[in-house]
Amino acid sequence: MSMDIFLNLTVRGLTTGAVYALVGMGIVLILQTTNVMNFAQGDTGMFITYLAFFMITTAKVPYSLVLILAIAAGAVVGLLVERFMMRSVRSRSHLSLIMLTLGLSLLFQGLAAFLFNTEPRLFPPLVSGDPIKIGPVILGRQDIVVLLAAIVTFGILYLFLYRTKQGTAARSISQDEYAARVLGIPTPSIYMLVWAIGSAMAGLAALLIVPRFSLEPSFMGLVQVKAFTAIVLGGMGSVFGAAVGGLIIGVVENLVAYQFPAIKDSFMLIVIVIVLLVMPQGLFGKRQQRRF
Amino acid sequence: MLAIENLTVRFGGVVAVKSLNLRVKDGEIHALIGPNGAGKTTAFNAIFQLVPYTGDIQFAGRELRGLPRHRLAEIGVTRTFQNLSIFPSMTVRENILVGFHSKSRSNFVSELLGMAREPGQQLEETLDFFGLTALAPAHAAVLPYGTLKTVELARAFISHPRLVLLDEPAAGIPTSEKGTLKAVIRKMRDAGTTVLLVEHDMELVMDISDSVTVMDFGEKIAEGTPAEVSADKRVIEAYLGEETHAAS
Repeated sequence: MSMDIFLNLTVRGLTTGAVYALVGMGIVLILQTTNVMNFAQGDTGMFITYLAFFMITTAKVPYSLVLILAIAAGAVVGLLVERFMMRSVRSRSHLSLIMLTLGLSLLFQGLAAFLFNTEPRLFPPLVSGDPIKIGPVILGRQDIVVLLAAIVTFGILYLFLYRTKQGTAARSISQDEYAARVLGIPTPSIYMLVWAIGSAMAGLAALLIVPRFSLEPSFMGLVQVKAFTAIVLGGMGSVFGAAVGGLIIGVVENLVAYQFPAIKDSFMLIVIVIVLLVMPQGLFGKRQQRRF
Repeated sequence: MLAIENLTVRFGGVVAVKSLNLRVKDGEIHALIGPNGAGKTTAFNAIFQLVPYTGDIQFAGRELRGLPRHRLAEIGVTRTFQNLSIFPSMTVRENILVGFHSKSRSNFVSELLGMAREPGQQLEETLDFFGLTALAPAHAAVLPYGTLKTVELARAFISHPRLVLLDEPAAGIPTSEKGTLKAVIRKMRDAGTTVLLVEHDMELVMDISDSVTVMDFGEKIAEGTPAEVSADKRVIEAYLGEETHAAS
């Protein structure tokens, strides 16, 4: 593999990784705050992408506006899911909550198939035009948009978690839900907020990656598996670990795919197993230990 | 301020608190004491709607039953915890700010855009009040137990609650620092916060309390000023145990 090819594969891998990172960060945000592993993260994004497709083709909404509307729709979906599904089961077992997200995933797939049918469709990229050459690296315009969107989202998420009182509240809940609540943190509204943010991120991620595939109810399946790999690699507990994990997975996957195309997807599952065996806390996760 | 009437808490067949009547007067330091298992912490938990109970708990004339837990801070009741529950991966500053959440009125969008008014003044005052200014940026995980107890007090106090419940504030505090702790609790009262505390450290209780309620086996056995209570025969029996009881 020449240096030029290596660089190109790496940068291209970073753009795919940025999408895994977006999905993964959303999952970790919801997991850390509400203690629910959301297996519907990918399909939430898928469903939002169908809504966006409908807006573009049938309602003829301009593309730039669709992006904003889709993110808003993601937030609304997350809000509704928390308010009308998660909240009512919260007092039951933890397993019920996880099963509920699996059910939610199937619900979105069914809804998409029912409302828009399962026939694969081409989804146009946000921006089109000739690829841009930066040194030896040739980058599609959509790829640049993906990278920028991921960076901006990462920045906003950081501001949310560390600069707003709601973000501080979310972090306090993740460390001690009971204490946070007794101290006056309105946990139900923080849960809703976090579900809204996480689902909006899912919508954005799906919308960014869909031009690589075709729009069909199953297109986020593998993306979600890789986002989970990213989370495991980065350490379950850290939103930023998920981001770095996603980028690493994206790059490694692209390099592996170039040399050994046949094992591209299964390779990532091998990575999960190795990471869990060798360093179960991941790259940035904390070892399970409590001082008090 | 706080009026508990006929409070009973049952866990299965065990009666943890039995027909407890308790009145905490505005502006006092009121101690709730008793041997282990007497039902003190359970009474605290009932106030915070953490356990099912019968009877009435009123705060400033308002019935607390059914109030969502997180609303207590909003109406002016906060607490600390028996086994310290600080947020370890947050800084001292952030830990204390969690206690101010219910009082700050800024909305999410202005917060995100950095346009919200920081609760700077309350934070500075509280840090200063508890002598934590220098430690504000430190991560809680690296600080010693005693300091974290103070952070917990500050977190419960930043909202200037009308009533604060302290669950064993002196536990784990070295004797040399007890004087500071007493001064801090008195300062909280003098700043207008009524204090209800559960504590095993009798020296501390007798020194700072305005009134004391003694519980044993879920029941109130005595009430009064520290002097009255420490002279009470049933209190002495409860503390010295069954043997004394059998001998008398």
